[in-house]
Amino acid sequence: MKNLFLIGAISALSLSILSFTDGNNNVNTPVEGTDVSFEIPTDVQATIDNSCYGCHNSESKSTKGKAKLNFDKLPTMKTSKQVGKLMKISKVVTNDKMPPEKFLAKYPDHALTEDDAKKLVSWADDLAQKFGGE
Amino acid sequence: MKKAIYVIAILLIIIQFIPADLPAVSTDNPKDLLTSNADIPKDVSMILKNSCYDCHSNETHYPWYSYIAPISFLVSRDTRDGREEFNFSDWESYKKTDKAGILDGISDEVADGEMPMKIYTIIHRNASLSDDEKEIIVNWADEFADGLFE
Repeated sequence: MKNLFLIGAISALSLSILSFTDGNNNVNTPVEGTDVSFEIPTDVQATIDNSCYGCHNSESKSTKGKAKLNFDKLPTMKTSKQVGKLMKISKVVTNDKMPPEKFLAKYPDHALTEDDAKKLVSWADDLAQKFGGE
Repeated sequence: MKKAIYVIAILLIIIQFIPADLPAVSTDNPKDLLTSNADIPKDVSMILKNSCYDCHSNETHYPWYSYIAPISFLVSRDTRDGREEFNFSDWESYKKTDKAGILDGISDEVADGEMPMKIYTIIHRNASLSDDEKEIIVNWADEFADGLFE
């Protein structure tokens, strides 16, 4: 009886540890040199997918778009670059420079709604502050 | 024809009286990037001074023709915009995150040839950057940004 209890306790404990680490692996990818992880909440990710990722990815035909910002590489870049890119995202979205007018004329449904833009900017600002907070 | 020339001449004279408001020049900038970071290599600082500082610092060198309208309007606007974008003379008053954003912009835009602007290098021939000079600036901007986070 005692043994059974012990086995039960051990397996419950290991299960909880397993699920804990599992959950961590899914959400957090720690960045080298910092204890801040590059997290993108689901709603921001959806906005990026709809309005940014089309040009800013590794397979993009837009050489310029890809060179300036590549969301596939962003999570593994150096902290200095991540902060730089996040600051730029915040700036160009705030100033309505991105997505480009020409692109939106052709694909109006990829425009950022006011709410999308707000969430994207505050995500970028907050994450930049976390990485570079003084 | 003659009349047109008269009209243009008179217009040119009139616009000389419209103030261009060229942004003020100051050489005393204790928070300047180069003043505050004496360890920035000489080749980097020379390029920055020569190709960037006219618009991105308080140490603008206005050539004589920049006082003549309508050129003065253009120079005034570009200098103002440049300083507003970022001003090396105010460097140490920027937050670390802003510095990282500026340095990333320098790295990208110099590599891409977007900066210095064409309209500037057409006139200031020696401000245009060779491929070697671009590389020096891009490498410096990236390393300097890294240094902020160490």
